[in-house]
Amino acid sequence: MPVGEDVWIPSACSMCYSFCAIKVHRVDGRVVKIEGNPDSATGQGRLCPRGVSGMMLLYDPSRINAPLKRTNPEKGLDTDPGWQEISWEEALDTVSERLKQLRAEDPRKLLAVSSVSFRNDTIFPRLFANVFGSPNSWNSGAGNHCGNAEHLFGALLHSAWCKQPDTDYCNYLLNFGVPCGFGAYYTVPGMAQRMADARERGMKHVVIDPLLSPTAEKADEWVPIRPGTDGALALAMLNLLLNELKVYDASYLKRYTNGPYLIGDDGYYLRDEETGKPLVWDAGDHKAKPYDAPDSEEFVLEGEFSVYGYRGRTAFSLLKDGVKKYPPELVSQITTVPAATIYRLTQEFADAARIGSTITIQGHELPYRPVAVLYFKGAQGHKNALLNAMALELLTEMVGASNVPGGLLGQNSRCLGHPEMGKPSWSPKEGPDGLLVAAGGWPRMANVYPPRSVTPSDSMDLKGMIPTASGSSASTPLVMKEPKRFHMPYSIEFVLHMGANFPMTFGDPLKVADAFQGAFQVSSSLFLDEATYLADIVLPDTCYLERLSLDADWVASNAPGGEWCFHLRQPVVAPGGGRRSISEVILEIARRTGMEDEFYSLLNAYLDLEKPYALEAGQHYTWEEIVDRHYRAMFGDERGIAWFKKHGVLKWPKKVEEVYWKPFIKARVPIYFEWFKRAGEQVANLAQELGIADVIDTASFQPLPHWRPCPSYEESRPEYDLFAFYYRVPIQTFSGTYNNPWLDEASQIDPFTYHISINTQTARQKGIKDGDWVQVISAATGHSIRARARLTEGIHPEAMAMANCGGHWSRYLPLASQPEKGACFEWLVPLDWKHVDIPTLTQDLCVKVKVSRVEGP
Amino acid sequence: MRYGMVIDLKRCIGCYGCHLVCKAENATPPGVFWARVLKREYGRYPNVRRLSVPLLCMQCQEPECEKVCPTGATQKRADGIVTVDASKCVGCRYCMMACPYNARYYHAKERYYFPETGGPTPFEAIGYQKHPPGTVSKCNFCLPRVGAGLEPACVANCMTKARYFGDLDDPYSEVSRLIRDKGGYQLQPELGTDPSVYYLPP
Repeated sequence: MPVGEDVWIPSACSMCYSFCAIKVHRVDGRVVKIEGNPDSATGQGRLCPRGVSGMMLLYDPSRINAPLKRTNPEKGLDTDPGWQEISWEEALDTVSERLKQLRAEDPRKLLAVSSVSFRNDTIFPRLFANVFGSPNSWNSGAGNHCGNAEHLFGALLHSAWCKQPDTDYCNYLLNFGVPCGFGAYYTVPGMAQRMADARERGMKHVVIDPLLSPTAEKADEWVPIRPGTDGALALAMLNLLLNELKVYDASYLKRYTNGPYLIGDDGYYLRDEETGKPLVWDAGDHKAKPYDAPDSEEFVLEGEFSVYGYRGRTAFSLLKDGVKKYPPELVSQITTVPAATIYRLTQEFADAARIGSTITIQGHELPYRPVAVLYFKGAQGHKNALLNAMALELLTEMVGASNVPGGLLGQNSRCLGHPEMGKPSWSPKEGPDGLLVAAGGWPRMANVYPPRSVTPSDSMDLKGMIPTASGSSASTPLVMKEPKRFHMPYSIEFVLHMGANFPMTFGDPLKVADAFQGAFQVSSSLFLDEATYLADIVLPDTCYLERLSLDADWVASNAPGGEWCFHLRQPVVAPGGGRRSISEVILEIARRTGMEDEFYSLLNAYLDLEKPYALEAGQHYTWEEIVDRHYRAMFGDERGIAWFKKHGVLKWPKKVEEVYWKPFIKARVPIYFEWFKRAGEQVANLAQELGIADVIDTASFQPLPHWRPCPSYEESRPEYDLFAFYYRVPIQTFSGTYNNPWLDEASQIDPFTYHISINTQTARQKGIKDGDWVQVISAATGHSIRARARLTEGIHPEAMAMANCGGHWSRYLPLASQPEKGACFEWLVPLDWKHVDIPTLTQDLCVKVKVSRVEGP
Repeated sequence: MRYGMVIDLKRCIGCYGCHLVCKAENATPPGVFWARVLKREYGRYPNVRRLSVPLLCMQCQEPECEKVCPTGATQKRADGIVTVDASKCVGCRYCMMACPYNARYYHAKERYYFPETGGPTPFEAIGYQKHPPGTVSKCNFCLPRVGAGLEPACVANCMTKARYFGDLDDPYSEVSRLIRDKGGYQLQPELGTDPSVYYLPP
């Protein structure tokens, strides 16, 4: 141990997926403090509660220090595997030999499981599977917590993975339950500051949420809503905007959306006979023209026209008429939000949008639309994720508040590069039918438009068959369980699993375990958590303070606006015990299985490594050399990892054309999702052909939004009278932080984190007092969970809520597995096709439950 | 010179960041919270509000704890910070009874955050040298940091920049200006303890 050492080392956090820039204080080889890096443009030296608690992860004595193999042949979620320590040599030999055999048989039998959240370099296992020859990778770590449909629309409308309100100028934020600026969502400390600034500036923040969450607590107004009905509320607001108030940004809709495109009675674009391009109606010439005809200045946004003898109505007209089905009075019955409130919120939103106004920023005169609508998991995590998300997105589009000052900004949709190198750079562009194609390159966005062709899926996630799917797929465990039914000519026999606690993040844990039980599983993990109960070999991974990472500076660590900021994750201390970084282990396995050159070739493609940075066949590169080449290729020769180790962050100011890119990019976004309709028909035909039409429900593949209730609304047994849902708190990340004793202690003190929140009146009717133990039985799974009740006035009377994902049961997590450490929501969530939104492969989190008082845990 | 803190409840989101960064900075043992957050609900559904209030030692100018301390372990410094000299503290805990803000903690015996291993983590092995068992402790505005010209950890780390630190005696300091302009108030002023921690309304 170096005596007298006292240093601060720049690196990157990984206690959630914000990956903030940090500085770590090391004294005599020991970590004594973690702070936000003050040079970071995003966090400005500040960290969230989890970020400052990282040393309690580093020094957790429950961490794994040696490779292990199971001695108990019987696998089960609570069956002790009987771990026995083995050498790294034995572990790597066993894994490599088995993989070689598997690759010779059928490489598709490999499934790589990874996590989007903290702990690991997400992409590496996926790349390995790819090189191996398997289409199977599964991002299960965020599992049910993933914003699938939101990410799909992020790509289609914003060229981004996710969105943030423009806190610099926004005056009215309609927030459907997103903890943006409240310790979760993306860019945690950066958005916390920005939202606090907006609050102080006077931005009105309306939070629509069944729970008086930490976010709603600070809002100007809390609007409680029945769980799962946010999409219906958005439809009523669209109806009022378009049909009663008649407030919409016509010039935006004409210029930047497919609103003027003519739609035939069959629901498809009317196309120009010559060019095949969608037609619009020119009011000047009284005729239809291709949408990009140079002399077309007077597109008609509304109306019905006759073209080639067919009736054509504009997309906007169809939307406007379609939402007439949703008067506030009807929607009030669905959502429990009073009709008067719906009228008032819509009027406020319409007024605040200031349609027609402009603002000049750095010499650019830009549209000024200081309103935004934000939603994420809660509003869209339902059977009809696609349609809910569509309705919510269209509110922002109708007033032209998309990617302009004051509105809703794609999180880093466009980067024009460092002023010296011009790299990294990415930008959205115009694609088929004049519609936006999300920026490719780095960091990668959901690749959904132009649409992928609909083909029988070769992979368990069915993404080959479902072109609208992005994000985490609910189908993986379902198809794994019965591959033959889905015409898979193979089954999953080998699972390479990194750091994702999938039995605690993906619905019914027994069903998830059942799907995985037959495969040989190698888990690289920090802890012997619930997922490792299914493993055959466990490899001790390094935590973020012990590792060098490929991408520490994901899109999430850059807030919209301000400055670009990139940093590096480097090891702050040497890995304890026999821990090895999974990224290095995968390189070693690639070597041992003779895949090294192929792996390099894929890395070159993925990381855009060109000469002289490209990895060459026949060479051996260390992990450090690979990361160094990635950084030098991106930021210039002198800015390899040595530069980042010394300087910490590289930053430069963002340009107006990057942050408010909309007026600078000639590309329209859909408000009528014509290709969804086509995709739906193709998927339905294919499902019919494959004999799986009974489980592939294509009814939600619609070009326009509709309200379709979740299956749980059909629950008729009166004792299942509450909707259960989960929410996020700033002191835990998903299921992964529950063994951190500092966060555990804070969670015990917090009145809500480890409790089940129930409305005071509802609880009284059930004879439940504050602090009583309650049992919650799911109508859909039949499983039950137990926790103490917290009676609160701050929750919808028809709902009960629980935070994140506690209730661990692994005996190797001594703190997390104690009683009174929350409960695992996933026991309540059904894993079956009835509860999957097929277009986005999202699981329905809308569950009805029966809650009753019980004696103890 | 009188060090003081202003906590803007409009900016504060009750995230427990202060509670945890204080753990990290001061290595307080299990059950000892120099910084903490209280939450309270008002009203009836659906017209209900919740308020999160971060708490710490109020660094009173008329500290009850100092008055009752039989050994002189608790002292108010010239700069207004109230300190506890652990070497003089006999653990009688009169100060805990006297403090109207529940800001003091008795640390009975050495305890660790991972009790199942029976020993301290490397972090605790260093940090707990500052916390001798059998003594009472509390927030001291991160005195070592303040001495080095830094802000207290809870101020420097607050994600929403809800906390301000400065000289209450200087009418032109940021803290004095905020208290004046935004209606800063002390907790339980009627007790006459004259806290150096002020709050701005939510």
